[in-house]
Amino acid sequence: MILSLVILYVVTLVYLAITERFRNYASIVCLQGLLLFAIAILRLHAIDTIELLFIGMETLLFKAIVVPAILFAVIRHTKINRVPRPGSSQFNSLVLSIAALAASISIAWYIADPTVDMVFFGVALYALLSGLILIVLRARLFSHMVGFLVIENGVFLFSTAIGIEMPFLINIAILLDILISVLMLGVFFTKIDRKLHADDADTLSHVKD
Amino acid sequence: MTIYVYFLLCLLTAAATFFARSRRIVHAAGGVFYFVQALLLAHLFLNGGYGTACGSFFAFDAAGTLFFVLMILVSGFVFAHSESYLRNNSLPEYRLYFALLMLLTTALTGVYFADNIAVTWIFLEGTTLCAAGLIYHRRTAQTLEAAWKYLFVCSTGIAMAYLGILLLCTAATRGALSYEALAAAAAEGNPLYLKTAFLLVLCGYSCKMEIFPLYTVGIDANFAAPSPASALLSTGLVNAGFLALLRVYAVLAGSPVFEWVRHVLVLVGVLSLMIGALFLRRTNNYKRFLSYSTVENMGIAAIGLGIGGAGVWAAVFHVVFHTFIKSSLFLQMAVVRQVYNGYRINRLGDYMRINRIGAVGILVGTIAVLAFPPSPLFLSELTILRETLAGDSWWLAIVLLVLLCIVIYSICLRLLRLCYQPNQDELHPSLADRKLSWSALALLLAALVAGIWQPPFLTTLIDRIAQL
Repeated sequence: MILSLVILYVVTLVYLAITERFRNYASIVCLQGLLLFAIAILRLHAIDTIELLFIGMETLLFKAIVVPAILFAVIRHTKINRVPRPGSSQFNSLVLSIAALAASISIAWYIADPTVDMVFFGVALYALLSGLILIVLRARLFSHMVGFLVIENGVFLFSTAIGIEMPFLINIAILLDILISVLMLGVFFTKIDRKLHADDADTLSHVKD
Repeated sequence: MTIYVYFLLCLLTAAATFFARSRRIVHAAGGVFYFVQALLLAHLFLNGGYGTACGSFFAFDAAGTLFFVLMILVSGFVFAHSESYLRNNSLPEYRLYFALLMLLTTALTGVYFADNIAVTWIFLEGTTLCAAGLIYHRRTAQTLEAAWKYLFVCSTGIAMAYLGILLLCTAATRGALSYEALAAAAAEGNPLYLKTAFLLVLCGYSCKMEIFPLYTVGIDANFAAPSPASALLSTGLVNAGFLALLRVYAVLAGSPVFEWVRHVLVLVGVLSLMIGALFLRRTNNYKRFLSYSTVENMGIAAIGLGIGGAGVWAAVFHVVFHTFIKSSLFLQMAVVRQVYNGYRINRLGDYMRINRIGAVGILVGTIAVLAFPPSPLFLSELTILRETLAGDSWWLAIVLLVLLCIVIYSICLRLLRLCYQPNQDELHPSLADRKLSWSALALLLAALVAGIWQPPFLTTLIDRIAQL
């Protein structure tokens, strides 16, 4: 069951590489939140009930509801719903994403070690690379934000892999979610839109040598 | 228990500052805040706190204690200079700035004394939030851009570092996250996992330590933040990144990948030094110029760690005295801004005539940062060079010397220009606050005295840190 959910999670990452609409980005983030919720519950059922409840609630509330809701609100507010640059084509993005997937699988396979869950590590690495690809290839700040959320989800996924031994580490990952996602999305993003009247990363090029 | 009481008191003082109804209350809260710092220092040195563990997450070890003392010293100067620097700000801006300064100081203390890799990470994340607030202080489009970049890149970096920490914990040990337990377990960890973990952690912490690859956010942060705050960001925060990396370095010291880790650090150090040397020539802003100098100096420290042996001692020594010198230069720049209302290198000049003591401070700072004797940096750079030659790394010694020559040329040219070239702008210099210039110079003189004679407790602390 967990493996099927993880594979579905990988599919969302591949889809992220080919989609250009911001609504799809927000929907994927929401879907990833739901998948992470299910994985966390299934994977960590052996830990303390209160701890499991807290982790489950946080994943569902922040990753699947609050963060996607803020993303949809930003889309409504900015009225921008598409990656505009022809330079960052879907094909290039897909090729890079597939290469990242192949690299992640290879690395996880090559360094297979009984102490680390190979599947979770490989997928977390792929999420990290997917997020970085999104940040580098796309011009919109919104895409960068989604890239960061994808990286963060990947880190959370990996933390669930070792969470049975160290639930403390999952709580820290949760801390990262709450602090950064809400701060960046809620405060800075709205301020950037108000002050700079654009969502294009090119407008953020005044601070340079 | 002591550290938790300390955190509580600091948070309460910061909260009182945030809600202060006059500047006098802000200043009083500042007095209380530094009294709390003095109490912690008294606990460390007079009450036998130094060398003991504090709960399961913190320890008052040599590294934490040394960097804490340095940071409190710089933070105190920053607080005093900020009062003058921000005198035209509105009360809400004024109190928010000082509250954030106190929170940043508290978060840095947490990083220094953390004895648990996850706790270090939490406090480093805390510094990102406080620093972003300080960077955005002026509420302009430029500062917003810098704050956004800082928050975004640091968060991405810190998320990567967290992945590295997870990997390190998994590969090395199951359960314990203290540095001691990690070090004991890393000796038998999977080498490839340890290498991947180190790369991720190095990448993440590089945004704090201002070294390659994520050094850019630090440059933008120092540029956008008010100058006194930049003094703390480019020393206290950079030291936090250095210390966090040093602790991971110590964890891996007994592992089979240590040799590889050292090679990576040399490479990162050389790249940072190269970037610093090249951009010192290119930038046209004095604050960015000083920030690139920080990149260059942290690159030298990374090379010291990479060389190992006496190089580690030199790296710690270098970082300690860089703290004095760079904070002094940034505080001098705060006075420069009061005079010229800007930092443009190609337009400012005649500073020797306008503010003689400030100009002397900048010239002495130039000598110190260039590591000319009696600068303490001379000793650290000489040690690193000697160790490089002792290890038969001729190529590294040649690269180091060439890059340092470029650095010397760039820094001399540009800082001398500020003092002696005719002012090429139609600026109207206002009166400089000479008391601030004197106070910044005091930090520098302390560094120069220590370059000739180091107090025994300082050498003991540095020796202990270098023992890993």
